[in-house]
Amino acid sequence: MGGHATQPSLNLYQLRRTCSTCSLSELCLPMGLAPGDMQRLEELVTPRGPVNESEHLFRIGDPLRVLYAVRGGFFKTYLVEANGREQVLGFHLPGELIGLDAIWPEKHQCNAIALNTASVCELPYAGIADLGRQVPGLQHSMLRLLSKELALSHSLAGDFSAEERVAGFLLSLSSRMKARGYSATQLTLAMSRRDIANYLRLATETVSRVFSRFEQDGLVSVDRREVTLRDPEKLGELGRCFSAGW
Amino acid sequence: MGVGVRFDAAMVRRYDVAGPRYTSYPTAPQFTEAVGEGEYLRTARASNDDPIPRPLSIYVHVPFCTAPCFYCGCTRIITRDRTAGARYLSRLQREIELQARLFDRDRNVDQLHFGGGTPTFLSDAELAELMRFIRHSFSLRDDSQREYSIEVDPRTVDDARLAAIAGQGFNRISLGVQDFDPEVQKAVNRIQPREDVLAVIAGARCNGFQSVSVDLIYGLPRQTEAGFARTLEQVIAARPDRIAAYSYAHLPQTFKAQTQIRNEDLCPPEIKLALLGVTIDKLTAAGYVYIGMDHFALPGDELSVALAKGSLQRNFQGYSTHAGLDLIGLGMSAIGQLGDELYIQNHRLLDDWAGALDVGRLPIWRGHRLTREDRIRRAVIQDLMCRGELDVREFGERFDLDFSTHFSEELDGLATLAADGLIQIEPARLRVTPLGRLLVRAIAMQFDAYLKPQIESGKQRFSRIV
Repeated sequence: MGGHATQPSLNLYQLRRTCSTCSLSELCLPMGLAPGDMQRLEELVTPRGPVNESEHLFRIGDPLRVLYAVRGGFFKTYLVEANGREQVLGFHLPGELIGLDAIWPEKHQCNAIALNTASVCELPYAGIADLGRQVPGLQHSMLRLLSKELALSHSLAGDFSAEERVAGFLLSLSSRMKARGYSATQLTLAMSRRDIANYLRLATETVSRVFSRFEQDGLVSVDRREVTLRDPEKLGELGRCFSAGW
Repeated sequence: MGVGVRFDAAMVRRYDVAGPRYTSYPTAPQFTEAVGEGEYLRTARASNDDPIPRPLSIYVHVPFCTAPCFYCGCTRIITRDRTAGARYLSRLQREIELQARLFDRDRNVDQLHFGGGTPTFLSDAELAELMRFIRHSFSLRDDSQREYSIEVDPRTVDDARLAAIAGQGFNRISLGVQDFDPEVQKAVNRIQPREDVLAVIAGARCNGFQSVSVDLIYGLPRQTEAGFARTLEQVIAARPDRIAAYSYAHLPQTFKAQTQIRNEDLCPPEIKLALLGVTIDKLTAAGYVYIGMDHFALPGDELSVALAKGSLQRNFQGYSTHAGLDLIGLGMSAIGQLGDELYIQNHRLLDDWAGALDVGRLPIWRGHRLTREDRIRRAVIQDLMCRGELDVREFGERFDLDFSTHFSEELDGLATLAADGLIQIEPARLRVTPLGRLLVRAIAMQFDAYLKPQIESGKQRFSRIV
């Protein structure tokens, strides 16, 4: 931006307003930034939507152009193995970043797909990296987000039972939804049971068996894709270790 | 819920209006070709995605009969050519393959029903082959909670056949009896001596069927009060678990076979009304519980238990204890249902049904994707037909609406029925009275959004309520 324009017109500025009016700003990249710094970040951000269900944000091997922050809806990241089997890497909720694993070697390392009608913010990586060098708070929030991602994958490597995994999954979803101002006990699963099973390294039938058991035991009630946590404490006992990193 | 039922001839006469049976809402005449194979495939595959996917119900239609019964309005093909069964089976197997691959294997088949036509047109070997194929493609159950039933023409089975059929996994049987009076049987071309039928009922019990159901029809040509009363007594003495007493619907323009009934033999409306009255009297006096519509069951039967508990359901198979199953329809004219999202119906003509399968396509003719409004009205009709009452506040919460505002027109329409004592309309609740239970169809029709324009245009022809 040159110095010849004293200020962008009010209209333009308001159009570009994203982070400062976004309810997710405390969870997302702008967390902890001073208003002035947030403004500079905002100028880089481009909201984009709707992203239709089953639309890809990027595929493995695509050059890194922008990072994505989820504004609305749910995304899934996944790999396709040599034998054609899909491996789910994670689910991304509003306020979470997708594409961080592309930072080096500046190429996307996985595929990202919308699980329902969604919207995102595009964060041009070059601009963000540049800004990061000038705004320490931004670097800090990036590292926090990267670290959270890393911690998420620890549990999956651990030796946990099917019940512990499913309980932990529900707890994680619950606390992430709560942090976004949604109900902690009334969850709508945008992801299929097959995706959940894949992510938790369980058989699809096992996931359903566990859900049925939980329902019989009064821990949850299930109606189509709606899962109500009836006994969060009991679920907490079961799933705490699995979801510790979350 | 009150399980009583009251017969009042004057009331029945007044509300004897043609109407649907509401085994679905919207009803089959509302299905259109806007819904086809593609949409069905997508919806079926997506039905596997729920954390706990719905269990399955399978209906198999076997359309063949060797001789016509003149009263029949079912989709059937009269033939004595036994090879027709084998040809039908080979297409059925293809259909089973195509359907089975859409549903995950861990979804159990809780309900299985063979109807027709005459399912026992197929030989024991053919039935066994068919069941073997179904068992191979789907996950069938073998515990006592399964509802695996078959419609049987008593003339086509003996002890050995009953044992064979039970051995295939069926635990429920329903027998077409209609009326024991030989004069009536002659008039409708369904001659089956009483002794033989009673022997089959007894034989079914001995051969492992845990539930026997008998179908009767009142209003048939040449029926008399005395004759039908006798039939009822004889059936009651055999103590079947369930008795269905259907009203004969004389619609010869729609059902060709009925043209063979002589006009002078037709049952006058007054007699038909009396027959209904004697049916209700005798069955309730004998301890049978009136479930709803045409159905009665012994007090210990699970339908009666469900009725008392408030958990009775209604689906394409009629009244049931099972809720929330995805229905797969196999065979000509069969109807399928996925959740409360999609209904589909197979081709009604054999050539169309077979033709689709011969080129590897599912034989879907038409269907309907439920709208939110459909779902709401369906729930009202279900509540009234199965529970006999509707909690206004709970309903409003369930669907996020104000009942009296949303249905102000319908409630106005119900005013006459309420004045006649068929239904109690209170601010908190709608309740069907014992008098209204017999005429619950007339109540349900008030909520059928598709019916009004058609009644006005005179287009639809349904069977009369009684």
